Amino acid sequence: MTRSRGLGLAYLSPYIIGLMVFTMVPFLASLWLSFTDYDLMSAPVWTGLDNYIELFTEDRTFRRSLWVTLVYVFVTVPLKLGFALFIAYILNYKLRFINLFRTAFYVPSILGGSIAIAVLWRYIFATEGLVNMFLAQFGVEPINWFGDPTNALFTITLLRCWQFGSAMVIFLAALQSIDKSLYEAAAIDGASKLHSFVFITIPLITPVIFFNLIMQMVQAFQEFNGPYIITQGGPLKSTYLLPLYIYDEAFRRFDMGYASAIAWVLFVIIMILTLVAFWSSKKWVFYAGDKRS
Amino acid sequence: MKLMTTTALVGALCAGTVQAAELRMSWWGGDDRHTATQAGLEACGAKHGHEISAEFTGFDGYLEKLTTQMAGGTEADIVQVNWPWMPLFSRDGTGFADLATLEAIDLSQWSEAQLAATTEGGHVHALPVSTSGRVFFFNTTTLAEAGIEPPTTWEGFFSAAATLRETMGEEYRLFNAVKETAQLLVTLHAVQQTGKDLVDPETNRVAWSVEDLADAIAFYGRMVETGAVMSMEDEAAEGNVNLYEKQAWSQGRIAGSYEWDSTYNKYADPLAEGQVIDSFPPLMTEGAVTEGIYRKPSMVFAVSRNADDPEAAAQILNCLLNEPEGIDALGDTRGVPASAVAAERLIEAGTLNPEIVKASNIVAEAEGPTVSPFNEHPEIRSDFLATMEEYAYGLLDAQDAAEIIIDNTNKVLAKFD
Repeated sequence: MTRSRGLGLAYLSPYIIGLMVFTMVPFLASLWLSFTDYDLMSAPVWTGLDNYIELFTEDRTFRRSLWVTLVYVFVTVPLKLGFALFIAYILNYKLRFINLFRTAFYVPSILGGSIAIAVLWRYIFATEGLVNMFLAQFGVEPINWFGDPTNALFTITLLRCWQFGSAMVIFLAALQSIDKSLYEAAAIDGASKLHSFVFITIPLITPVIFFNLIMQMVQAFQEFNGPYIITQGGPLKSTYLLPLYIYDEAFRRFDMGYASAIAWVLFVIIMILTLVAFWSSKKWVFYAGDKRS
Repeated sequence: MKLMTTTALVGALCAGTVQAAELRMSWWGGDDRHTATQAGLEACGAKHGHEISAEFTGFDGYLEKLTTQMAGGTEADIVQVNWPWMPLFSRDGTGFADLATLEAIDLSQWSEAQLAATTEGGHVHALPVSTSGRVFFFNTTTLAEAGIEPPTTWEGFFSAAATLRETMGEEYRLFNAVKETAQLLVTLHAVQQTGKDLVDPETNRVAWSVEDLADAIAFYGRMVETGAVMSMEDEAAEGNVNLYEKQAWSQGRIAGSYEWDSTYNKYADPLAEGQVIDSFPPLMTEGAVTEGIYRKPSMVFAVSRNADDPEAAAQILNCLLNEPEGIDALGDTRGVPASAVAAERLIEAGTLNPEIVKASNIVAEAEGPTVSPFNEHPEIRSDFLATMEEYAYGLLDAQDAAEIIIDNTNKVLAKFD
């Protein structure tokens, strides 16, 4: 027994060591650093709550960045989930070349986080890019996608939504696990497709919606590549998400202590929203065998 | 006793010799610099029996990467550093190895003045690779098509900009002014009018008055209003794209920019066939008290203080800068070399690109106040550009923008008192 336990631990050790060294140590170190003045080149100096006080009382950029981040998350996540569910619903039908379509729709999420796609996005939405060329066919004047502060955030949001593949695959798996007899019974009772979708499909996939909601929300709060490559957070900080601000403070302004404090505020916000989601899930997520259903 | 004697003997024999070492070198640049530096490392590595791994990238992101490495003590053995970053990494001169203590480096190839710029606290913590400055590039092909002579004064500049658009079309711009180029054009105007650099070395505070800077910012505003340069909003429409990657540049629809003399190839190479750019000295304006050349030691090479084998790194560094193998390989990819022997060799061989020599001569001959490295301090630059952007989008007037920039800059400078 002792030998097999040791063997088990040995097998687990690469993961545990990796978790401790690359996750837990930096995680706790950043908490400590958030209470210091640390310029990376000299030893950190303990400053207590100074970083947090400055963050909440003086820092206009933080307030702006936080607002942009919240708008980004609250627009992106529902849009992406809605779109992923919509496509998954279509792909759940038995169509010709369905596997080809499923693959094609999943590809963007494999490519989506890459720098190359962010660069491609930049060209697609440039003044003389594909989107404006397409709109010009209908007599629409070229739109300044990246130069207008409102459009810029929308354009970055679209990039995230385009990467709906992973959420779509999970939705598709959930849709395929729904018992077809439920739809047949509903159809016999005269239910329309919309009724079936709202009263059968949605309730039965709420656990998957909940899972995707949490995952997408956490990922959206951490978005970095798109705005960094495409707009560098501009114009007028309209796409200056908190991860960009953290990055700039740490590696361009050499204020790792302050950057750590922002990172911890971001962590707490994600934690609170996740807890709210878990709390609310009791009211709208239905699991198999749940007595409410 | 016998053991101690043997150890001392072996130690004495080893002293002054360098074992084959595995080294790393990091730099930023364009393709021509990457290719040349790799060739230089191969030649110098073969000569001195070391293996050197190359770590290269574009300018964007290099500072962040280097910062992370410096914080973790994992920087390459030989590092290319932007001169204005030296106070960040080596405020007292000990952030990098003291090159005066490394035998392999021949410091006599640099003048005292050159070495003074890379010496802090008695430590020679880097070596200037070249002296660099901003010059005006104009696309002479486009200007000739429009029947315009390259301007020499700012009034001529505005007149040429109007003629260019009338002749060639509204999409044509005489000049580029985005990001740090816009900042440095504002700086140029303020320096020309006041004769002072941004930072007063005596007080370590901004040398310009709010009115001086407001006037310079309004001057940038005039460039936009007259259509000489694109507005920041229109520039942003392209996303975060470098000038030399833009079609408008390669096709001559943007007919000029204010760039480093050493980057001539970077801007000339992407031009469409038949398009030519040429270098020009700073444009002058009425009442200017100086040409206001923005001149500084450009990039410098340093040896990591964490290098396992600093003498081996020094050998390679010396080879790149002072020995024929390195000099021939690097050529003028970092501008005209600061090392006397390198400059002499390249001039004698006639291998320097005449266009780079011309640009370099413009920088050398023009006059202006000494440039403080704080002009390019990341925080100062970032605040300057963010405020300029607010001005460009009409959220601030020139006076308010100037006040904010001066306040923010002074706050950063105060950290270095």
